Amino acid sequence: MKKQSGFKEYKEEIMDAAHNDRLRLALSRAVKSFRGNVKSALAKFPHTVALADEVLKIKEKAIPNMEKLARQAIASIEANKGKGYIARTAEEALEIIANLVGTKKLIVKGKSMTGEEIGLREHLEKIGNDVYETDLGEFIIQKLGDRPMHILSPAIHIPREDVARLFSKIMGQEIAPDAEIAEMVASAREYLRDKFFRADIGISGANAVAAETGTLFIIENEGNIRLSTSAPPVHIALVGMEKLVPTLSDAFKVSEVTWRYANYTVPSYVSLVSGPSKTGDIEKVTTYGAHGPKEFHVIFLDGGRTQLAKYPHLKQALYCLRCGGCLYECPVFAVTAGHFGDKYFTGLGAVWAAIVNRDKEKAASLAYTCLTCGRCRQRCPMKIDVPEMVIELRKMLAEGE
Amino acid sequence: MTSDLVPPGLTYLADNILTRQNILGVSKEQGAKWAHKLNLPAQGETVFFAGCGYQFSAQLEVLMSLARGVDKSVIGAELPMRFARFQKKLGLNLPGIYSNVIAYSNTLYHSTPLTRGKDRSHPGEPEIKPLEAAIKVLRKMGIQPAYLGKNEPCCGATLYNAGLQSKFAENVQNAYLTLKQAGVKRVIGIVPYCTHALQKLFPLFIKDYDLEVRHFLEIVAEKISLFKLRYPRPVRITYHDPCQMVRYMNLIEEPRRILRAIEGVTLVEPEWTRGEWATCCGGGGGFETVFPELSEVLAVNRVTELMETKPDIIVTHCPGCIMQLKDGLRKLKVEGVEVLDLSEVVATAMEL
Repeated sequence: MKKQSGFKEYKEEIMDAAHNDRLRLALSRAVKSFRGNVKSALAKFPHTVALADEVLKIKEKAIPNMEKLARQAIASIEANKGKGYIARTAEEALEIIANLVGTKKLIVKGKSMTGEEIGLREHLEKIGNDVYETDLGEFIIQKLGDRPMHILSPAIHIPREDVARLFSKIMGQEIAPDAEIAEMVASAREYLRDKFFRADIGISGANAVAAETGTLFIIENEGNIRLSTSAPPVHIALVGMEKLVPTLSDAFKVSEVTWRYANYTVPSYVSLVSGPSKTGDIEKVTTYGAHGPKEFHVIFLDGGRTQLAKYPHLKQALYCLRCGGCLYECPVFAVTAGHFGDKYFTGLGAVWAAIVNRDKEKAASLAYTCLTCGRCRQRCPMKIDVPEMVIELRKMLAEGE
Repeated sequence: MTSDLVPPGLTYLADNILTRQNILGVSKEQGAKWAHKLNLPAQGETVFFAGCGYQFSAQLEVLMSLARGVDKSVIGAELPMRFARFQKKLGLNLPGIYSNVIAYSNTLYHSTPLTRGKDRSHPGEPEIKPLEAAIKVLRKMGIQPAYLGKNEPCCGATLYNAGLQSKFAENVQNAYLTLKQAGVKRVIGIVPYCTHALQKLFPLFIKDYDLEVRHFLEIVAEKISLFKLRYPRPVRITYHDPCQMVRYMNLIEEPRRILRAIEGVTLVEPEWTRGEWATCCGGGGGFETVFPELSEVLAVNRVTELMETKPDIIVTHCPGCIMQLKDGLRKLKVEGVEVLDLSEVVATAMEL
């Protein structure tokens, strides 16, 4: 390895994690309940398996056309009186959003992997804004100054006692280490409540976008995204271009498969957002900004995705629905959590690090940490062949592209 | 020869394949020793492909126990691996060093009161019994394979796995040529990695690939119903599926059919992690040489899952898995549970 120290540090990091018994306990419990939940969700809705095959076909057609779909979606969003943008790079996305936000604003933010990818929260804070993560797990991570360890459950590695201690500190009200989890959840609700209504801007991601109508599909359970995207006067959404599919019906299928494989029979909420809030109730004159946001901005991030789509083996990384199922099947992830990762985790994260982030050192560390055991492929609704991608990536790293 | 991005553990194995046609750089004569008393023909249309894993398991175990010993002190696997490469560059007699280390660890082992008289489950014990057992089982089933011995080429799968594909492609050409020149038409593989490589990867690099490659397990499963099998004592057996077997070659039912056919065997399996959902033992494709210590943690996890079935014997069918599972048992200080290869179990049940 060129930077021997980089690999050594990485190795020390994952070994520290592997020796952390609490982390392992938290993960093994999560794995067990996840498997049980997926099994019963699929047993209750067995059509999901065939639907996943259909979604794979939708993705296979959509990914080579991301660019075109993004333009179509922007046209639709603008017809709905929102604004759409294509950001070529992470920097460009940050700039677009920074210009929309300005400074000294109060921002409430839903969980977004794409936001994590470009360091959105950190950037907005740096330019003088007050940003609140509103997803409970993400909120905990933000307050701890930690980084997410799972794409769906970012605080999967933090035991409740630690949460109690943290909340006692930030909320100025004592929560006993053995308090009910419900008490912790209630105190976070209390703490964030007024932020939603005082916020100048709400930021979200999206799980799927229908290009024909410009509709964002956002899956959640907590209700924080509903509040973040409807209470403030401005809604900004940051979406990776791989989330685009042609039709509303396609986007619905993507969403259903995503949540089912993410271990939910059905999530509490799916928000469909296509434009700013409007009313025509007075003399049929359309007026924007009724009860919801007056402004609606969607930024589609390329950030290496169109590049990745050109690699015959690696492009399947873009089919990922981010259901997180593979992570629960990875034997290495089971002991290291997100330490075996970069912006994204495990073998898939290696592909992302190599092509999207152009970080060869990190990509090599991750690629050679993959066991190529293939159990993730077994779980994946898109049948993403992670071992195949990892071997291909190793070839590219070992022999040059 | 390689990019700086390939971890040294893997480049070490790769160098050995390229220079000595086996992953550990041991002499081929030494590897072929196991077959001496079996009097296998040195040529034939159907050959038994022994592969590196079982033949050099003793050396691999020694290497791994050294690497793991060092890895814990945070120096990393790079050091022992580098050291091994350095030795080779200096022209040291690596096979000699290996056998000395093995002999020493055996002496040490047998001179300790606790372990005196025991001959299994410790570093240095060559895993050749499965090969011998496999040959005996095949013969019993009416198949008389040849064995190329020291001329058996290395499949080179580790090169492929390390990302060294052009080297792998070269190795494939040479290996194929060697097999063809020896008049081989059919290959019976036993190491999952080798068999998968010969079956699925070679055709990617050889136009009109014409070798029929089957796994030992497929052949046994096919004929098992024709034989009466009885284990000498009643045993609870749990089966650990090697990744290559279940998720690459789709051999899921076969081992179970075989084990269920043996009188006296009760097959007990973990609730979730079996068949295509089996957990990797943590020793895949050279992973153990890059991350010796993490690999050991994973072995312990897998053994913990398997131990929930309260088995007398953990059966698997891969030299890498055997090494890992034994190591896991040792780490967990489990006593009275054996790790056996499926071929050994079948041979025992056939009273061979």
